[in-house]
Amino acid sequence: MSFTEFVDGPFWYFSAAVFVIGVVWRLVGMLTMGSKPDYSLPRASGTAGAIGINIKRFFPRTDFWSRIKLQVIAGYLFHVGLFALLFFAAPHIDFYRERLLGFGWPAMPEWAFILVSELAFLGLLLLILHRMMNPVTRAISNRGDYIGSALIFLVMLTGCLALARAYEPLRVLHFFLAELLLLYFPFSALMHTFTFPFSRGFMGAHYGRRGVRV
Amino acid sequence: MAIDMNVFRGFAEQIKMLPQMAQPTDCPDNERLKRAKAVFAAKLDSSKATYLESCVHCGLCAEACQFYIQTEDPKFTPIHKLDLLKRFYRREKAPLRFFHRLTEPEITEADLEATQELVYESCTECGRCGLVCPMGIDIAAMVHITREGLAQAGLIPAGLRAVEQEQGSRGTVFGVGPDQIRQAVDDLRAKGHEVPINKEKADILVLSSTIDVLLFKDALEATVKVMNHLGVDWTIHSCAFEGANFGLLSGYEEVQKSASERITSQAIALGAKLVIVPECGHAYPAMRWYGANEHGAPLPFEVMALSEFLGREVISGRLHLKPLGPDRHVTYHDPCKVGRHGGVFDEPRAVLKALGVDLREMPSNKVTNFCCGGGAGLFVMEGAAPMRDAAFDLKRQQVEATGAESVVTACGSCRVNLMAGAQRTQWGTQIESLVELVGANLKQ
Amino acid sequence: MSFITFRAAVWQFATLLFVICLLAPLPAPAQESAPASPILVPNPGSDLWRAVRQRDAIGAGTSQARGVETGVLIEQSGEEFRNYRRNDFIGNAGLFIAAVAGLILIFYMVRGRIPIPDGRSGKRIRRFPDIDRTLHWLTAILFIFLALTGLTLLFGRFVALPVLGAEAFSVIASASKEGHNLFGPLFLVAIVALFVRWAARNLPSRGDLKWLIKGGGIIGNAHVSAGFFNTGEKIWFWSVMLLGLTVSISGLVLVFPVFGQGREIMQLALIVHGIAAVLFIAGSLGHIYIGTLGTEGSLESMTTGYVDENWARGHHDRWYAEATQGGAESAVPDQSTVARQAPLHTSADKA
Repeated sequence: MSFTEFVDGPFWYFSAAVFVIGVVWRLVGMLTMGSKPDYSLPRASGTAGAIGINIKRFFPRTDFWSRIKLQVIAGYLFHVGLFALLFFAAPHIDFYRERLLGFGWPAMPEWAFILVSELAFLGLLLLILHRMMNPVTRAISNRGDYIGSALIFLVMLTGCLALARAYEPLRVLHFFLAELLLLYFPFSALMHTFTFPFSRGFMGAHYGRRGVRV
Repeated sequence: MAIDMNVFRGFAEQIKMLPQMAQPTDCPDNERLKRAKAVFAAKLDSSKATYLESCVHCGLCAEACQFYIQTEDPKFTPIHKLDLLKRFYRREKAPLRFFHRLTEPEITEADLEATQELVYESCTECGRCGLVCPMGIDIAAMVHITREGLAQAGLIPAGLRAVEQEQGSRGTVFGVGPDQIRQAVDDLRAKGHEVPINKEKADILVLSSTIDVLLFKDALEATVKVMNHLGVDWTIHSCAFEGANFGLLSGYEEVQKSASERITSQAIALGAKLVIVPECGHAYPAMRWYGANEHGAPLPFEVMALSEFLGREVISGRLHLKPLGPDRHVTYHDPCKVGRHGGVFDEPRAVLKALGVDLREMPSNKVTNFCCGGGAGLFVMEGAAPMRDAAFDLKRQQVEATGAESVVTACGSCRVNLMAGAQRTQWGTQIESLVELVGANLKQ
Repeated sequence: MSFITFRAAVWQFATLLFVICLLAPLPAPAQESAPASPILVPNPGSDLWRAVRQRDAIGAGTSQARGVETGVLIEQSGEEFRNYRRNDFIGNAGLFIAAVAGLILIFYMVRGRIPIPDGRSGKRIRRFPDIDRTLHWLTAILFIFLALTGLTLLFGRFVALPVLGAEAFSVIASASKEGHNLFGPLFLVAIVALFVRWAARNLPSRGDLKWLIKGGGIIGNAHVSAGFFNTGEKIWFWSVMLLGLTVSISGLVLVFPVFGQGREIMQLALIVHGIAAVLFIAGSLGHIYIGTLGTEGSLESMTTGYVDENWARGHHDRWYAEATQGGAESAVPDQSTVARQAPLHTSADKA
């Protein structure tokens, strides 16, 4: 079996399976750990708090802004860019259509693809550098943080290098790294992709029932 | 202000002596880890698991924490305080625990001891960190769980432990018990006030605190005046007057329960419809949010903070106040446990509005206000003095930014910490109590 | 390893690099010669081909296709451009970069590493906050990536292709092109950000000329006064801005050929881009040398943000005096353990 066949075949199926099973396992596991009843009289609705915080938390409070603005701006550049790339870049939509879903949707124009990629790279590089430069993040970051960031960066980079869509080795490299990322994902902090609505929700519910808008 | 500064200084001296008064705990050395883990295992539920799974080490929490802001020491990064809990969770409870056991070493007793400073002397559980976290992680709640584990392991810092042990074994705090509250009541009666105590039945049970009995006597007097002025059916009870809960502060749940249950059972016996918590921060959540859970059932009475009660009476038109005038420039300091953790923001401001003062909000106010530095028992831990001072310096800047001549608050330990800081730095700004302002300006 | 053997190793490595660069222009494939002088041959098609070649024609022809220069069938100046690029530019560029590298090497062999004046004091002072260091390293990483991919596009055919073979090299060349084109515009963003942060401190000021005349103290041990940035740094800053702007704007002309650029403009842009890039790379070698090996105590200003007090006093005395005016607050005990501290947690957790 050639490396290309391996990457397009067994390794793809294996990494996709580990990804799906791992994510579901971890999510279900953490959400079914039970909770204790709260007999105190609520002041307001916890559910409303859980939903409200999920939206509000996208907009950091002005009180904190001066100390966090680099991370917030870089964070949004990266995350919004990545989201746009994953779901609206033509090569990815082609992949979903051919390998996963059987259908696709309109892709963004080439110039938008380039622009969005650049913004995503800018955000990610700033975030990685900030993690290394800032004393707090340098102190609390572990191997996993750097491995996760590096993997994402390499996947994005190899995608960029293969942009001409004319050389099989470049495509295979990109796919291989993406599959490594899928394998790594459920074991890492990258899970925040799926856990964030729940962690925000729990906090929103807790403070919501106390009548505090967080 | 009739604060006896000798008593204030005496307080400070006594706090320095507290560590010597602490008794050894009943936890044998080889049991510490086991007991801590048992607490963690019991307390880590879905919400905490989700929090612990969600941290991406972004470090934003540090930028919201007054202790990090003032020291610039990454050691005080809030999420770092949860390292112990996180490691336990990964090995023992996480869905991927079988994988984590390959990569995550066991927590050790040395780890427990290293965590003590992080969750006790350098954290007031103020909750500001949780406000900035993009993942919405409630770090303060999990700091408390860590305290609960350390408490069972006998690792409460000595000064705090001394007071918790006193409240646990004798039911008193700093020696203030039924006799002392009776004495305080007698003193007030000698001044001409009617003070109902130990009534058989009453609609409202009013609590007090050691700090009010010993130091802020005007606050107690003002409370009495207001309750009488309102003409409600109320009482103090010598068996259940202490709002402060050192079980909650130290994380020792048995004492937290016994202290709140003492109040709950007395309120039930009185047939009370309302329990009013005095000007004290943690006393509010102790009864309002945790009282029912310690009781195991919904409470058959309402719980209000004194500032909350006063505000509601003003809003409903039952309480009228003499205006002090708009040339009184004040700012309001929300005690963290009453405001951010309690939900009481509007009511104290309604009182200040009725007093007609010029209220100027601090740059960070209401839900984002900065902690005074004295909460969560920090004011009885001598080792926390540098932290308290650092937090005070930041709070001082916040107050001065308003240009107000006085800062009003509704919490005794906030007042103590602000006063201590004012003394240390020769600060001229007045520090006032909300209920004392109300008591002095009741309109007939 | 000892200093002597380290210097010897550097010497050997640099010689090798120098030699490789010298060889760069050599394995150029057979060049097409200049058009031969016309020989009159009774070729029935010569008139046709003369017209096709547009040798005599000055204007353009017409074509069904609409666009910029679609009336031009065969570009005359293209041949000149191609010859220039392959014969003159690439060879000289390689020589130039190698020469600069060699000069730096010679300087290092002669002068050695410039130590911190009076040795380390053990006390530190803050020089660059997080944002400055983040932006600097962003610029540096982008620069290195663009330089490597750019050099591949320039020299690769002559240096790498013979070694790797055509197939493998075409993969690398395509990857380099895509990478170079995508990251190029980001470089402009990075240098604009650096400009915003540092331009004010790089304006010429009193003492700059004297610093320059004294050679910045790199010859001999004379103490030279300087502010936050010395004259050498200011020259580098403005070079970065000028060269960076040149390379970015010419790069943008090249990467977005949709604004009516004809071949001449594109060729000009490529030459300008190349010249600016080569000068930039050569300059960066000097900057990297001075910031790392060349001057003790400099690199940490950009990694930790702190510098030793003696470094500050010795190299930037006017800045040091201002910064420590506010009392000893700015001077902190050497917490290099804080800056380089191990992660706070003791576990080996990976995820």
